[in-house]
Amino acid sequence: MRLGMFFREALRSIRANAAISVAATVTALIAVFILGAFIPSFMYVRSAVDAQTAKVDVDVYISDTASVVQVNKLTAKLDGLKATGIVSDFTYVSKNDALAQMRERLRDPSVLDELPTNPLPAKFNVQPAQPENANAVVAAVTNDPALDPVEGIVYPQTTADRLLTAAKFVQWGGFALIGILLVAAILLIGNTIRLSIYARRREIEVMRLVGATNSFIRWPFMIEGVICGLAGAVVAVAMLWGIKLGVVDAWASSADTALTKTGSTTTISFPALTLLLVVAGAVLGAVGSGITLRRFLRI
Amino acid sequence: MARIEEQAPAFTLVEAAQQEHADDLVVSPPVVSEKRRRGDIFRPGPGPMVDFKGVIKEYDGQHRGLNGVSVSIGTGEFVFLVGPSGSGKSTFIRLCIRELRPTSGSVSIGGRDLGELRKSKVPYLRRAIGCVFQDFRLLSDRTAIENVAYALQVTGHNKQEVRRRVPEMLSLVGLDGKGDRLPREMSGGEQQRVSIARALVNHPRLLIADEPTGNLDPETSMGIMDLLLRINRTGTTVLVATHDMHTVDRMQMRVIRLDEGRIVRDAEGGYNEDPGDTGEIV
Repeated sequence: MRLGMFFREALRSIRANAAISVAATVTALIAVFILGAFIPSFMYVRSAVDAQTAKVDVDVYISDTASVVQVNKLTAKLDGLKATGIVSDFTYVSKNDALAQMRERLRDPSVLDELPTNPLPAKFNVQPAQPENANAVVAAVTNDPALDPVEGIVYPQTTADRLLTAAKFVQWGGFALIGILLVAAILLIGNTIRLSIYARRREIEVMRLVGATNSFIRWPFMIEGVICGLAGAVVAVAMLWGIKLGVVDAWASSADTALTKTGSTTTISFPALTLLLVVAGAVLGAVGSGITLRRFLRI
Repeated sequence: MARIEEQAPAFTLVEAAQQEHADDLVVSPPVVSEKRRRGDIFRPGPGPMVDFKGVIKEYDGQHRGLNGVSVSIGTGEFVFLVGPSGSGKSTFIRLCIRELRPTSGSVSIGGRDLGELRKSKVPYLRRAIGCVFQDFRLLSDRTAIENVAYALQVTGHNKQEVRRRVPEMLSLVGLDGKGDRLPREMSGGEQQRVSIARALVNHPRLLIADEPTGNLDPETSMGIMDLLLRINRTGTTVLVATHDMHTVDRMQMRVIRLDEGRIVRDAEGGYNEDPGDTGEIV
């Protein structure tokens, strides 16, 4: 009964102050649209960085002269690292496998046919569980007698460090940006709702006169804010859908896109994004009007 | 639900309204001992309805709205608060409904010291006090029925109660059949009756009227004052701030006169000190 009344009051207010309601809706639309464009982009960049970071492998080359016992000891060492969770997995790449890989990578593999013997050492390809663990792996196998004296241990230390820094930057920068966007949106919607409250201050005065509690006064305004926020979010989602179909999907399906080729980038799915944005719109409206009302409800 | 039935004044009030000569229908004295309503903040038991003790109200630290006012209005009284503009009448009223707080001194309503009243309880104080203003303060986009119903909805009454009590109230104030009109389709007197119905629909024990006849012609004013008197006869304490000399003279009730924030007279009778004198304000 009360909820019904709050809804009727909110709708009455929206009708009575149509221009202001439209302004609030457009404000919500813009805020949600920016959020909706930013969140998938942010997640895309982050997953691209993550995908690169995950590729920080440590290659442990094995000397051609290493004995079977020495190789077994090294294998046992790596098994130990795997057991403690430092290493997620490691694979043995034999001399022949290494040559086959090389053959694949070369534009003209026939040059390898000229080789009298296979010069490539065998290796363990070690994938640290966390990119940060690469150093631990290196420390564990350094000076192992089975190591190839020339190649030793190879891993892209600087690349790993840079990628880690970039990943952290993208993550915290993204969170900060989303936070700033949300605060700006709340203030904007609050400001617009303030106009509506100002238009209805007479009504608030009467409500207080007849003994309405602050929460009772607040509800219709909050619902009004939620309705405007939802309406803005729905339009924003429709616009984003159009952009996704028209621009993003076309771009993603073009074969030359470097990042999509890696195959490991992911971003938020559209239904999930829709849900998130609709909820964000509603919350923005409610919080915006709630905060603004506080000033009007001081007795 | 049941608490409605406990509120005797609703029915006695209607009965009183149905009597052409309500004078011989002096209903029971104030029902202070009745079971307390939910959210009723007044303390039970006898005692003054309005009690000001040494109240000083300063605005901006200099100008004084009230300058040391001590006065007590008993439960069930009908009191006029008179005085020229700026004498402190509005300050007095705003202190009663806790729109203002005294700079020093204390204000008690229904035995409750408003200085100790928590902010969250202020709405309950306002429900226990009906307020009527010179400018009616009706919602212009709502009909008479909706305006009165609003006060009930705000205090959380259900549809059935609203449907039952609103026509009852409108009939009480003499607006039978006019419930569907918007404020702009009504005369000033009719609008003021709507605002009185709204003030009464929650069965306040104190009705405060700030210049209720300020915008009305003398004849209409008389009708409004008679209505307030009838309401008073049902046990509701009525406080009327006015500078309508003729009305005050005609009614011969207790008159509290303010001048420059002080009480300069508190006695039964007319507007001026000498009951026979209808001349200028002294």
